[in-house]
Amino acid sequence: MTRFAWLQARTQTLSIAGALAILAVAAAVTGIHLSHLYDNLVASCLASHNPCGAATDQFLSHDTFLQDAFTLLMRLAPGLLGIFWGAPLLTREFESGTFRLAWTQSVSRSRWLVTRLAMSGLVVVLIAGLLSLTVTWWYRSIDLAGTNRYDVFDARDIAPIGYTVFAFALGAFLGAVIRRTVPAMAATLVGFVAVRVAFIEWVRPHLLSPLHLTTSLLNADRFGFGSNNGSDVMMIARGAAPDNAWQLSSHLVTNTGRTLTPAANTAFLQQHCSAISFPPPAPRGGGRVLAKLPDANAFEACRAQAARLFHLSVTYQPAGRYWTFQWLETGLFVLLAVAALAGCYWWVTKRAS
Amino acid sequence: MSAPALETVGLGKSYGRRWALTDCTLSIPAGHVVGLVGPNGAGKTTLLHLAVGLLRPSAGTIAVLGETPHDDPAALARIGFLAQDSPAYSRLTVAQHLQMGAWLNPSWDAGFANARVVDLGFDVRQRAGSLSGGQRAQLALTLAVAKRPELLLLDEPVASLDPLARREFLQTLMEVVAEHGVSVVMSSHLIADLERVCDYLVVLVSGQVALTGDVETLLASHHRLVGPRRDDLSMPANQSVIEASHVGKQSTLLVRTDDPILDPAWSVTPVNLDDVVLAYMRQARDGAAAAAPGLAVAR
Repeated sequence: MTRFAWLQARTQTLSIAGALAILAVAAAVTGIHLSHLYDNLVASCLASHNPCGAATDQFLSHDTFLQDAFTLLMRLAPGLLGIFWGAPLLTREFESGTFRLAWTQSVSRSRWLVTRLAMSGLVVVLIAGLLSLTVTWWYRSIDLAGTNRYDVFDARDIAPIGYTVFAFALGAFLGAVIRRTVPAMAATLVGFVAVRVAFIEWVRPHLLSPLHLTTSLLNADRFGFGSNNGSDVMMIARGAAPDNAWQLSSHLVTNTGRTLTPAANTAFLQQHCSAISFPPPAPRGGGRVLAKLPDANAFEACRAQAARLFHLSVTYQPAGRYWTFQWLETGLFVLLAVAALAGCYWWVTKRAS
Repeated sequence: MSAPALETVGLGKSYGRRWALTDCTLSIPAGHVVGLVGPNGAGKTTLLHLAVGLLRPSAGTIAVLGETPHDDPAALARIGFLAQDSPAYSRLTVAQHLQMGAWLNPSWDAGFANARVVDLGFDVRQRAGSLSGGQRAQLALTLAVAKRPELLLLDEPVASLDPLARREFLQTLMEVVAEHGVSVVMSSHLIADLERVCDYLVVLVSGQVALTGDVETLLASHHRLVGPRRDDLSMPANQSVIEASHVGKQSTLLVRTDDPILDPAWSVTPVNLDDVVLAYMRQARDGAAAAAPGLAVAR
């Protein structure tokens, strides 16, 4: 059965392997060039202890097309493998009636299914792994030059493998249930995107309890005044998490630790910052208005007074947890994949008769 | 003799609320070429799928070659199945199909399969997707037979073939039966397809068995009686009327009896298989509600 499963997966496997090989060659050539550029522009600058912003920007402006292409490919590949490999895996057998041929050879249905899922699943994982390895390797000097790795979390390292396993399993399961290729593909797309979005929005930020940090308003990343959608003019400030951390939130808090309410915020401005001439509030439904740069002395006085009464509370996941998050996300997606595969197995061997 | 090729007791299969097969009880001895006849939607395909384990019964039991067909490799090896429209992997070549058969069946007869493909004049490198309907049916039959099964189940194998391909297919089938002594159950909605090759008949109508029996016996025990009009059809106890029609002063009956017909009022003529099958089909269709006495099931 293994040989037959390979025969059925061979053409697809070889064509994707060919595409992957071309991609790897392109990545190797440009990637080596990029790391030379990094050494010449950024590394040498860092060694000289000069400010390197300009050198870094110059380096990052290279191969921007490839940067975009690789990131896009990395984000799309798992879903595409699920839609175009997972979903049709079984629907093609159902639509052409060949499942009746396959299931009446001297092989049990469960062995047929497990072998086909394992063969294709293995190939798909291998493809995702090699692709991620290639892209992650290609990006290594760019990432070193100034990427927060949390920003490219789903396009590097092992997380894409988890996504791919899940997309493939979801496709196979929906294919077994729906039995028609195009609807199964559509359902896989919808399901996969829904789960990915739900993960980003609701699951990933809560996988580990975040760290908190309080910082003075004088160290604020951004400080200013503005009004949004009809509200009164308020003080706006944002604190910075440590370098390369994943910042979840930043709030203005009072010295007793309470979040500053909009009313208290406005009241503070009226009381202590009357020297600043604020523009009228933005009209309701009219977007936001930011205050024009006020008189510098009044601005600093206001800020100093605010720093005495309030500070910033920042929640974040530190840079050092990156790999923990990668493993957690990958593991959870693999678990979801296992559930989908179990559902597929149950449906085909027990239900579909 | 070994276990019956196919034996069912009270067999039923429902798809949701619709019953495709109800209370089907029959026993087909091994060593026959059995025609499974019935109009479209009579439950022929359902019965064959139950027999090969593609479906599981909703009611009753089914045994094939003495075993319950249930997704078991050893049981599957004893049955050759040819699904309706002879499915094949359109992107795989003829040779790859034979390779599949060899990989997936322990008792695969490569010699037979290869010789068969040569006889049929196939280019083994040709993809199944480019074969004609007749060629695909022949390929599917080759795959089913090269398993060396004890029982071949063929679901409407010739329905979509042109007359020439139909004849060639049945010719191949007869050769296989003669050479390997395999039992065959073949479904069709056309009696003409089966008449030439079958020696046993099962008639299914609306999910129920309307008639089963050895073809020769069926022909010998059915007679057409023509005589003066008689609306009162009280016949001797050993004769049952399957169908009666009255035109003018004349009545024509199709009667089943194992004994000679003695009433001199009737002129008795023999019947052909077509007449018998059609009579039972009409009777089952018309009298499905009121189970007529003539609807005795023969064994």
